[in-house]
Amino acid sequence: MRSKDAFKSAFKSLTQAPMRSFLTMLGIIIGIASVILLMSLGNSAQKLILEQVQSVGSNLMFVIPGGPSGSRLSSPASVQGIIIKTLNDKDLASLRQEPSIEAVSPEVRGQARVVFENNDSETTYQGVSSEFFKIRDFKVVKGVIFSKRDEETYNKVAVIGQSIATDLFGARDPIGKTIRVKNINFQVIGLLEEKGVGPFGVDQDELILIPVTVAQKQLLGIDYFAAITIQAKDVYNIDYTKQRVETILRLNHRIEDKTKDDFQVSTQEDALAILGDITGILTAFLTAIASISLVVGGIGIMNIMLVSVIERTREIGLRKAIGATNKDIMQQFLFEAIILTFVGGIIGILSGAILVTLIYFVLINVLSTGWFFSLPITSIVISVVVATITGVVFGIYPARKAAKKNPIDALRYE
Amino acid sequence: MNDVLIHVENLKKDYDGDVVTTALSDVSFDIKRGEFVSIMGPSGSGKSTLLHILSFLDRPTSGTYSFSGKKIQDLTDNDLAFVRNSEMGFVFQAFNLLARQTVYENVELPLIYSETAVNKRKEIVENAIASVGLTEKMFMPAGKLSGGQKQRVAIARALVNNPPVIFADEPTGNLDSKSGLQVMQILKELHAKGHTIILVTHETYTAQYGERLIVLKDGFLEKDEPMKKILNKNVELK
Repeated sequence: MRSKDAFKSAFKSLTQAPMRSFLTMLGIIIGIASVILLMSLGNSAQKLILEQVQSVGSNLMFVIPGGPSGSRLSSPASVQGIIIKTLNDKDLASLRQEPSIEAVSPEVRGQARVVFENNDSETTYQGVSSEFFKIRDFKVVKGVIFSKRDEETYNKVAVIGQSIATDLFGARDPIGKTIRVKNINFQVIGLLEEKGVGPFGVDQDELILIPVTVAQKQLLGIDYFAAITIQAKDVYNIDYTKQRVETILRLNHRIEDKTKDDFQVSTQEDALAILGDITGILTAFLTAIASISLVVGGIGIMNIMLVSVIERTREIGLRKAIGATNKDIMQQFLFEAIILTFVGGIIGILSGAILVTLIYFVLINVLSTGWFFSLPITSIVISVVVATITGVVFGIYPARKAAKKNPIDALRYE
Repeated sequence: MNDVLIHVENLKKDYDGDVVTTALSDVSFDIKRGEFVSIMGPSGSGKSTLLHILSFLDRPTSGTYSFSGKKIQDLTDNDLAFVRNSEMGFVFQAFNLLARQTVYENVELPLIYSETAVNKRKEIVENAIASVGLTEKMFMPAGKLSGGQKQRVAIARALVNNPPVIFADEPTGNLDSKSGLQVMQILKELHAKGHTIILVTHETYTAQYGERLIVLKDGFLEKDEPMKKILNKNVELK
């Protein structure tokens, strides 16, 4: 029997029972649509997260105290409450002299109750240099940012986020008002534009930014930094600048063996790669879960095909009597399973694409979130391949069962 | 040219089960090309088993069976399927048509399995359908036809590959007398055209269309005589 005839025969058998064929395909349709939907959402979430990291600024690297992974001073130690005081003014001064560096901002931070008249709010204050605003692309919508001179003269001024301004001042203009942080008065000189929650989970609208010198000496009583943010010059390769930063800090800290570093330098690319890996794993995980429904759909097809083989026992007997070989019978039933999964796959792809479009329409246009429309071709290719494999794998058993039927028993079947 | 089409010698068929049942024992006969042989016998006599073995649908437990010089023992399942398709036609009591498919599609089936070119099929199928007088019903689903029409479709399907032999298993069993007569008339015409007809029936009247009668009883061959001789003896056919 020619494959073309087997295909036509299989197609005809399926179209003669359209409702049953559709219900058989339903598992595959839902499975494929789920794979497409979850891959699309995962892809979009990945883009969204990466865009947020990129929105922090460009050509950035971050220096934090602590050693490389596994060392005595690595991050877990600092997380456990060990305070590492290795980043200081000398490092800052040295980094500012490096030609490949555009700007440097040290950072310290703490929690405090901020009071204005009868209003107060528990929030995070952050001591930064005036370069911080340029590096991190923080802009004020009212007032000004503080200057280098404010840092040098320990001027008690603050630039505050939108949420904290609303908490403390309500509808009033915060510029020129005096707030108290740990019983020290700060004059509000700037109001930040709305930023939302940053990539590391910090609500930037809740921040109070003050000169780093004031935060160190008057609020925290320390002479070291919690972190240093560096912006490299465009013309230099970011990896070169990273190497320069590491060399400078090792010189300052008299470190010869890099495994004994008491600092860590990570670039934005490093962070992007890690986040990309995490979101990629999450997307793969979600896709794997959705794929389970494809397997369930495949089992559904096998189930219906087995019922079909029993129902059509006499037909199988007749076909064998008039000359069909085992291979012919197997081919026909296998084609039926493949057609079911293939057509189910196509309908699943269309349903998934329509669903994805509707969801993104709501996310982007109705809820005005920052999601990106994403319908990765890989999701479609994976779906079609998985659906076809499912058809073959789950179609083989019923097809073999049909092919092995004895023609006499089949013809006698009632 | 050897005109023996079917050669059967000491044929035996056992069915396995809790107890082995012997359906055929020590059956031997020859059938020449162009013969019209009726096989009769009471229920359980082994006539259907014999027909299934003769038509390559089943294999004997022991003994020799050769069809057109080919011994069944030497053939694979695929070979049997090929011979069934190219050299045998089947007419069943229950018609065994694909009810949702048209008359044309039913008759076309053997040609699909013989891989006959698509452009040649149309003429062959139309001629086969015309030979049983169903041209007007060609594109009607087979399930919507009357019993007699269904059996005529089955005959057209049996003829479509122009096989030398047609096996008919109780072809009139499900038909009224008028339709039964029509079907037997067609088989008679096919015999006249040179086809070998092997008919299994329990109806005396139907069996008399044959020119030779084989009677089985309890799996043994009880009688194998020319029909004329039997009719002349005025022996009652059972």
